[in-house]
Amino acid sequence: MSIEVKNEYGKIDITNDVITQVVGEAAIECYGVVGMASRHQIRDGLTEILGKENFTRGVIVRNVGDDTHIDMYVIVGYGTKISEVAYQVQSKVKYTLKKTVGMTVKSVNIFVQGVRVTNL
Amino acid sequence: MKTIDGLKFAEMIKLGAHHLYQNADYVDSLNVFPVPDGDTGTNMNLSMTSGAKETEENAVAHIGQTAQALSKGLLMGARGNSGVILSQLFRGFGKAIENNATVNGAQFAAALKYGVETAYKAVMKPVEGTILTVAKDASNIGVEKAASTDDIIEVMEAVVKEAQASLERTPDLLAVLKEVGVVDSGGQGLVYVYEGFLACLKGEELPERTVVESMDDLVSAEHHRTVQGFMNTEDIEFGYCTEFMVKFEDDKLETNPYDESEFRQGLSQFGDSLLVISDDEVAKVHIHTEEPGDALSYGQKFGSLIKIKIENMRQQHLEIVGENFSVQNMTKKEVVKHPYAVVTVAMGAGISELLKSVGASAVIEGGQTMNPSTEDIVKAIEEVGAERVLILPNNKNIIMAAEQAAQIIGIEAAVVPTKTVPEGLAAILAFNPEAEVSVNTAAMTEAASFVKTGQVTHAVRDTSIDGVEITKDDFMGISGGKIITSAPSLKNVMETLLNSIIDGDAEIVTIIYGEDVSEEDASAIVSYVEDNFAHAEVELYNGKQPLYPYIISVE
Repeated sequence: MSIEVKNEYGKIDITNDVITQVVGEAAIECYGVVGMASRHQIRDGLTEILGKENFTRGVIVRNVGDDTHIDMYVIVGYGTKISEVAYQVQSKVKYTLKKTVGMTVKSVNIFVQGVRVTNL
Repeated sequence: MKTIDGLKFAEMIKLGAHHLYQNADYVDSLNVFPVPDGDTGTNMNLSMTSGAKETEENAVAHIGQTAQALSKGLLMGARGNSGVILSQLFRGFGKAIENNATVNGAQFAAALKYGVETAYKAVMKPVEGTILTVAKDASNIGVEKAASTDDIIEVMEAVVKEAQASLERTPDLLAVLKEVGVVDSGGQGLVYVYEGFLACLKGEELPERTVVESMDDLVSAEHHRTVQGFMNTEDIEFGYCTEFMVKFEDDKLETNPYDESEFRQGLSQFGDSLLVISDDEVAKVHIHTEEPGDALSYGQKFGSLIKIKIENMRQQHLEIVGENFSVQNMTKKEVVKHPYAVVTVAMGAGISELLKSVGASAVIEGGQTMNPSTEDIVKAIEEVGAERVLILPNNKNIIMAAEQAAQIIGIEAAVVPTKTVPEGLAAILAFNPEAEVSVNTAAMTEAASFVKTGQVTHAVRDTSIDGVEITKDDFMGISGGKIITSAPSLKNVMETLLNSIIDGDAEIVTIIYGEDVSEEDASAIVSYVEDNFAHAEVELYNGKQPLYPYIISVE
């Protein structure tokens, strides 16, 4: 469950945990994202926005063979164009992973689990 | 001017959009954040154009209604981060004045401020040094100005002036901008929109920008984008960063008349990252090429060359990479300390990784045939340097040893009596590092109780248990500690087992396959679940565990 990079000095192992952290941090900086949702929220029947120390539960890193796929569960702000916000998250996550760990992910899947309405 | 109505506002929007459109390329060139893909200007322009079109078609004297049309058009046409933010800014703006037929300077400023508040509400972690900051600073000054004057032009002048000043401060707030040497692209776009508003209020023409002096910004942003693409020096296709200026000479221009787009086209054959800016006297060129000489010769056809600079990018890249990556810099792996730890037990490298990926501080190797002793558990806890610990045995035969370890360890410790790996996984997911040990124990025990576990393993002898006939070397399907099926075919056993434990309430089925199972076989099982239990999500992990070809968890 980790990404392995080999070079002439040896190998570098990057655990999925690290990927999850990087992805989560990148996502919550994206405009329009007001939180990460637990993927188990269907069971709770209410949208619980994960606290910061816990947002990694809204990010799933899957290794299928040599490919890495990322699933993310997010809550977006009301009034934003949701399709566009989701696209921005995908693009930011892909870029951040490329830049920080030099890896290319096969897919970034966004699951919009809720919309937060603010009293404005 | 005291007040504006909806028709005037529509004109302002039109000019703001036009001014942005005029400068969209420049905004593109500044774009290095959040992703340096050079499309901020394009996206903002498309968003703003959509807003302006909707406004123009629906403009009425009532400014509240006209503003609604704008926010609708912006929302529908929102493209990119900057476009979404722009639409939020004006959604809030429109909401603030929805019942006004006209607005004065103070109302206009207050509406801008309300737009900013709305925009900030739609992001968890606003990044300062962006369009958000520029909008915020400008609206604050606008409100301040409106306290001393009710003239809308004076208010808008203050807004534009502060937006420009705030834009220039963006590199101090956002490190990447400073690094590259540019201001924020989205913020620049917003400044253009506001400049358009002001020009419309004053009835002035907007100056066409002369951009020769901004070439440096363009070059640094272009370099930043280019460098992103290179992990390895050998990836660099065009090795020389070449910059020069051509001072036009009349006699040469007679044979080769200068046209900027043709000139750009002519140079593009030599490389990439091409930038060309020109006025009546000079053309400024930046290009990455393998043949700097050819590019220079091409430029010479139009005049004399001044200010030539050629750099070898491969050399530079090697130096950068070399500095950051030498054997001496490879430090020994730090041992991470977990003051509040979750220590658990499992077999198989994959399962161990999986447990760690959801939050286990340490995973003790062990399970069905090799139970870790009390001492092993104590040692693992000491190694992670915990001050408080929760122990998850993941096997009923280890619960006792875990209880003993918790008693003798001498720090605050408790056991969450998990009997299987899936229960352990569910329990760890419920762990809250902020909560007391007793609170966590209760919450994690409850979380584990929601999980149903199925396991498949080999029969070691002929027997009959729970009314199931078992033949040596057959596969047995076990659920909740009971053997429910036994057969020579692993696939059949799995299917019977899945049918018995997946019910209508199941949401997530997690399948962890062992070291003796091929990925293809595991994928076939996943397909089986997907085909037969459409309501459940399936997750597959390579657990690499011995003895158990499959471990299944159903939540």
